[in-house]
Amino acid sequence: MSNRTHYISSAAVALLLLVVQTVFIPFFAVGGYMPDILLIWLVYIAVRRGQIEATLSGFAVGLLQDIIATRFFGLAALAKTVAAFCAGYFFNDNMIEQTLGSYRYVMIVAITSFIHDFILFAIFFQGAEGSVLFLTFKSSFAATIYTSLFCIFPMFIFSRKYRTSWVQ
Amino acid sequence: MFEHLYETLYEYKEYVVFAGLVVLSLIFIALNDSVQVKRIRSVSAVAFGLVQQGANIIPEYLGLHAENEILRRTNIDLADEAQRLREAKLENFRLHELLKIKEQSVYPLIAAKVVSKNLTLFRNTLTLNVGSDDGIKEQMCVIGDGGLIGIVTITGTHYCIANLLLNTDFRVSCKVQRSRVDGITSWDGSALLLKNVVKTRDVKPGDIVMTSGYSNLYPPDIRVGIVSSVQDQPSALFKTIVLEPGIDFVKLEEVFVLQFVQNNERRTLEDAAVQRFGK
Repeated sequence: MSNRTHYISSAAVALLLLVVQTVFIPFFAVGGYMPDILLIWLVYIAVRRGQIEATLSGFAVGLLQDIIATRFFGLAALAKTVAAFCAGYFFNDNMIEQTLGSYRYVMIVAITSFIHDFILFAIFFQGAEGSVLFLTFKSSFAATIYTSLFCIFPMFIFSRKYRTSWVQ
Repeated sequence: MFEHLYETLYEYKEYVVFAGLVVLSLIFIALNDSVQVKRIRSVSAVAFGLVQQGANIIPEYLGLHAENEILRRTNIDLADEAQRLREAKLENFRLHELLKIKEQSVYPLIAAKVVSKNLTLFRNTLTLNVGSDDGIKEQMCVIGDGGLIGIVTITGTHYCIANLLLNTDFRVSCKVQRSRVDGITSWDGSALLLKNVVKTRDVKPGDIVMTSGYSNLYPPDIRVGIVSSVQDQPSALFKTIVLEPGIDFVKLEEVFVLQFVQNNERRTLEDAAVQRFGK
């Protein structure tokens, strides 16, 4: 696949996931918390393509999310950039398939998701009544758990696709 | 120097890109109120609004479940409230009927609620939610909108028990309203009878039977029932008169206890006469 085709297909996937995240995922909201499939995709990019591409994708996707969302413009871009950058540390050219098809993928998503949600909520709750730190931690944990649980589905798909054991 | 700088930047390109994007994000956050950003956001909001509107045809199953739960609970609450209103309406109707008695009665009345009753025994009783603290004494008679119900036999501080007309121990001196014929009303375990009425007396079905006032326990002119059948058996001295009670004991819920106090002088005289001449 040429670089151009690769970027176009990545952009198409990102847009599709953005629509799904914005329009359909709210149907799965529990207590106001939703899984972040864009973040799961960003971790996939980070594990598969490396830190730079993940960071750029994170920024782009976050910016698109900001355009649609009604919160601070640039907030999702910042959170997703940092999260994708952190996810990039788990890039290992020799372990891509083993990582994606095993629990490690879920673990990376959990760590990344917590960083992402912590940044997002820490800024979002500024000025709110009550303890901002408590609210931030509570919301971050809840959102992280939900996103991580949701990530089990792609993990099983990758595990089957790459014929890897998800517990290895 | 530039070459060295370029090499350094290239070596740490991940960090450079990351720092650049973070700074850019922070600038965007700082520019939240800028006109350009607002315009981009309004255009995109319209576009995504259209997409979301289209997606609204998908039913929110989780939301529907919760909504169903709330509606079911509301339905139960409303049904409960309707039931209570229906009860209140019926109670209002019954109390309205009882109020007529209270207005007509020459004796003081104590309102009471039936808290328990048994109607399947030979000695049927009624438990009321009033007792000696409310002014209830033994042998006060209990009445309802249809007439005589019974007589108080046991009194507690807050409750009392009354023997019903439908009790084999119950006796009351009565008279037929139309023909003024006297008799004793009692229950034989299956029917309410007007006894001791000789065959020659004028009693017909449909006659109203009232308390006579001959008894020191019951004031006169309280309705007891209506004659439902009269039979003359050849071998008997008295008529067999069956009464239909004026009260529907099955539906009985509110009653009055009549504060009719026995006349002590009369009682003393009557007791003395019994002792002197025998019953």
